[in-house]
Amino acid sequence: MRKLCVSFVVLGLAAVTSIGLASCGGGDSSGDGAGGSGDASSVTIAQAAQPDFLDPALSYTIHGWEPMWLVYTPLITYKREEGKAGSELIPGLADAMPEVSADGRTYELTLRKGLEYSDGTPVKASDFEHTIKRVLNLESGGAPYYEIIEGADAYLSGGNANADISGIQTDDKTGEITIKLTAPEGAFSNVLAMNFAGLVPSDTPFENMTQDPAPGVGAYMFTKSEPNREFVLEKNPKFEEGTVPGVPVANIETVKTVIIPSVPQQTQDVIDNELDFMQEPPAADFVAEILDRFGPDGSEDQRFEEFTTLSTYYFFLNTEVAPFDDPKVREAVNIGLDKPALARLFAGTLEPGCSFLPPEMPGYVESLDSAECPWGDPNQPPDLERAQKLIKEAGAEGAKVTVWGDNVDPTPKVTQAYADQLNQMGLDAEPKIVDGGVYFQTIGNQSTEAQTGFLNWFADFPHPLNFFFLVDGATIQPTNNQNIGNVDDPHINKEIKALSEEPNLNDVADRWEDLNEFLVDSAYLVPYGYRKLTTFMSERMDFENCAPVNPIYYNDYSQWCLKDE
Amino acid sequence: MNSAMARFAVRRLLSMLLVLFAVSVLVFLIFNVMPNGDPAVRMAGKIPTETQVEAIREEWGFDEPLYVQYVRTMEQLFSGEMISYATRQNVSEEIWKGLPRTLSLAVGAALIWMAFAIALGLYSALRAGRLSDRFLTVLALIGISMPVFWIGALMVYYLGYKAGIFPNGGYVEFTVNPLEWLWHLVLPWTALSILFIGFYSRVLRSDILETMGEDYVRTARAKGLSERRVLLKHVLRNSLIPIVTLWGLDFGAVIGGAAILTETVFDLQGVGQYAAESIKGLDLPPIMAVTMFGAFFIVTFNALVDIAYAALDPRIRLEGRSSR
Amino acid sequence: MVPPSRDEAGSAGTEFTLDSSEQLSRDPAERAGLGPWRLTGRRLRRDKVALVSGVVFLLLLASCLAAPLWAEHVAETTPEENHLSDQVLVDGKPTDVVDTLGKPIGPTWNGHFFLGADGNGRDIMVRLLYGGRNSLLIGLVAALGTIAMGLVLGLLAGYYRGRADSVISWAMDVIWAFPVILLGVALGTALALGGLDLGPITIQGDSLAIPILIIAIIYIPYLARPVRGQALALREREFVEAARAQGMGSLRIAFTEVLPNVASTLVVFLPLLVANAILLEASLSFLGAGVQPPAASWGTMIAEGVERIATAPHLTIVPGLMLTLSVLSLNVFGEGVRDALDPRARVRIEH
Repeated sequence: MRKLCVSFVVLGLAAVTSIGLASCGGGDSSGDGAGGSGDASSVTIAQAAQPDFLDPALSYTIHGWEPMWLVYTPLITYKREEGKAGSELIPGLADAMPEVSADGRTYELTLRKGLEYSDGTPVKASDFEHTIKRVLNLESGGAPYYEIIEGADAYLSGGNANADISGIQTDDKTGEITIKLTAPEGAFSNVLAMNFAGLVPSDTPFENMTQDPAPGVGAYMFTKSEPNREFVLEKNPKFEEGTVPGVPVANIETVKTVIIPSVPQQTQDVIDNELDFMQEPPAADFVAEILDRFGPDGSEDQRFEEFTTLSTYYFFLNTEVAPFDDPKVREAVNIGLDKPALARLFAGTLEPGCSFLPPEMPGYVESLDSAECPWGDPNQPPDLERAQKLIKEAGAEGAKVTVWGDNVDPTPKVTQAYADQLNQMGLDAEPKIVDGGVYFQTIGNQSTEAQTGFLNWFADFPHPLNFFFLVDGATIQPTNNQNIGNVDDPHINKEIKALSEEPNLNDVADRWEDLNEFLVDSAYLVPYGYRKLTTFMSERMDFENCAPVNPIYYNDYSQWCLKDE
Repeated sequence: MNSAMARFAVRRLLSMLLVLFAVSVLVFLIFNVMPNGDPAVRMAGKIPTETQVEAIREEWGFDEPLYVQYVRTMEQLFSGEMISYATRQNVSEEIWKGLPRTLSLAVGAALIWMAFAIALGLYSALRAGRLSDRFLTVLALIGISMPVFWIGALMVYYLGYKAGIFPNGGYVEFTVNPLEWLWHLVLPWTALSILFIGFYSRVLRSDILETMGEDYVRTARAKGLSERRVLLKHVLRNSLIPIVTLWGLDFGAVIGGAAILTETVFDLQGVGQYAAESIKGLDLPPIMAVTMFGAFFIVTFNALVDIAYAALDPRIRLEGRSSR
Repeated sequence: MVPPSRDEAGSAGTEFTLDSSEQLSRDPAERAGLGPWRLTGRRLRRDKVALVSGVVFLLLLASCLAAPLWAEHVAETTPEENHLSDQVLVDGKPTDVVDTLGKPIGPTWNGHFFLGADGNGRDIMVRLLYGGRNSLLIGLVAALGTIAMGLVLGLLAGYYRGRADSVISWAMDVIWAFPVILLGVALGTALALGGLDLGPITIQGDSLAIPILIIAIIYIPYLARPVRGQALALREREFVEAARAQGMGSLRIAFTEVLPNVASTLVVFLPLLVANAILLEASLSFLGAGVQPPAASWGTMIAEGVERIATAPHLTIVPGLMLTLSVLSLNVFGEGVRDALDPRARVRIEH
């Protein structure tokens, strides 16, 4: 009896402690109903993972940008509209578009008067310099974009966070901001409009503010941030109609984002109206049901839609490693790739294509997405025989190839399908799937000698330079290489350099088109399509009238509204 | 507690610490020596430059010799200052947030499986050899043979989404809504319990059968005690001892084992799921923290049980370690 | 996740006791004094259920080993071939193997795509058989590895005691302390990326040797501890004393005298170890740390299947059933073996 008692007591104590700990769970719940809190309108939306950062200086993913572009506004911003109009620049916190000097190296702007952050702090011109300093000092992924500012390098190597950046002059009394660049940069206005340059007060510390996000000027403000559980945006009372012309005030009072790692669960919750919106595309498994019920031709009210994005999906081919150092082999892959087959793995969200620049991007060539593509119509089955013949001619039959891919759905499937297709063409390919967190550095390391693998690029801003740096010989590095195919073509390099100095994109759009075609002809890589993302909402949201999609920042929470009851 | 007991306890505790130390070193080596990702590059973001990466390396000390890094990692672990390489969040806080969920799952399941196992085991033993016993044995064996993640995935889809009876997954804090908390845990508890009910009920059954054949039970019967009294006072009590001990040991192991799979399938976002994601992302700080936490649980429960047994069985004390 | 059984120290079987229980046994064969192994054999043969289970498992294994035959002659494809753009006749109508929304076809009950296709358009039946081959072989080889290593370590620790025992037991404790899945996933993930480079031997990251090694190591303590316990008890027996008196070296005694008596423990353990190893491999593969794509295993098939559970439930259900059936047959057979070995064996289960 004693033995039993003792055992029970010991374990009982342990169990009771555990239960005690289990019950005192802190914080609010996740995955709870979408019911609004009281009278104020409120929606609950989901993301599959905590955004990389909730700090404008640091975040470099759409997961962070989508909420934050409504909280922080840079000097210049994008029109809050759909389609091509949404990629036009308009003044943000500056009162007008920048005046660019003749040599393209000086940008002058003036801050609007009377602006306040969400906590009431007045906005000063010098806040801009502090904002840029944070981007540089915090080793942000966006820092390279701003290193073209005079004095940025000196600031970085100086090691003093509070030092001045010589290339940025500000006058708090007049609100004038002058930016000097070390060289002309055609896309610099776009760079100024990036989320990195969203203004924050000068007293914002030089540290990652995710746990306690800084105030900004925008339709929403952060009122809560619990990493890996949820964050809450509430309507910014200091932001009114006309505060920033062209940037609307929010309709919905509260937008709560909860983190739900399981995409199928999110999908089911939105279908069941327990969740108001999901940022990811719905799980492929449910797409058929969703289209049937909530699609444009669905049986119920429409609350699902696909939209094209400025993105290209492609496979890189390492031009410095066998067998892809042989142009014949590269051509063979482009000819033999079965693009419609790959599209099936995306559950209808990939549009097969042949162009490197996606539709709606200046420089896109529509004829490439037809039978006029040098490698065959991307919407038709490929000429496998011709591809096999080319491989034989090149003597590459049976060549061993490792096909790289990361583990984020649907990449593993695509990678395996691609490897199988290479096998059909006559190569000996095997897929290798690695975790998303280490994928880019693995393939970006020259010593890995990655031969081919999965890549995509979503435009940071609507300028071809943002895509072409991926194939610019000047960007090749031994580690963290972004030009993974080591594309180093003299003509391409020269054109990129020349075009980067052109301040007006519309003047040179045709040259970009030529360059795009040249790249596709050279078969340095294998573009195969453009991705469509989705808007999927619960039925209480007014999908018909209030669901705009901006080409850069996608879903605009501030323009959402609820159906009138 | 006399001195022999005290010496034994101290010996066990020392050995516990040594084991934990070895575990920490092993984890550190696995993720630093085996070829994997460079954490400095991970943190540098989408388009890292050399200067950026160098700066991060210096700031976080990735360029220091391994043993220095190890000491720093352990310092951070104990001071609660560990920062994840992938998410830049404080690891201890993340674990603290996930702990109630994992414990809710583990403790709830443990209580359920014990209750059912005792009932079923007892029933089986009393009906030993008959059809109902065989039937229950078959059920138990099936329960042991099913992969927990498989049965969990089927349950959450068919009973959750399709039938709409249970939630689609996820977890609701007890303090927010106790009923929802319970409702979200029913399926995970079931999945986790099926495995252990099957196995514990069979252990109990064989223990009871064995005890019933013991001499002292025959004596009790001969003395004229009612069958029921015999059962309760002697048989059950003694058969329960090994079960209870196993329960303690298993509980520690569940935290680090089946809980991970169950949490992942039901999306409970507890410590187990956090661990699985960190491992896949080769993120050392959370891996170290969770493994140490799990190991600590296992080792502690082991030690507690050993000490309890030693207190009751002098032979073990003298021999230095139990023969288990 | 099924812990194997281990014997309480001392009760290694009835072979060496001269007590009256044998005389009082109801079993005529036992009373007649037949040798212990023959007794076991007889009891096992009489246990029809256990025998059938054993046969079921062997049949499963055989069909999985015959995978190449099915693939070549019936399905006419390989486990890696993606048939994304192909069409197949279903009820006379040409149907996409994988439709434009990614939904694969269900079972056709024909030679091609007998059980349907998966999300990449691969033949499920072919992958099931090849995957089974991987899953079952990994389980078997890992279990044998555990027995080999656990046996040696347990014997050394139990027989030699002292220093060797302390070190080995401590090492066992360390492995024991690691949460099982965490250790498996940690090793599996770390090794999958770069493989293992042990100087003369290099193992690729996607080689099956890696999950085999990991699983074998994880289960060593489960075997080594009971073996150690038995060795500890047996070393005091008369026959060991006699051997020592004859001048036999320690190592020889350990392996020629003590080992055979531990054999009964091993025989009981083997089916249970294999069953556990198969389940552990499935768990690891499900989490992405076991068998690497494009190779199939029942665990990876379930992981891929769950993604398609709404539109193609057979992708999840079928591999899971195969897993359950294999493990179940092993468990039932293992039960039978244990019962046959000693119907009165005291069994303690440990995790």
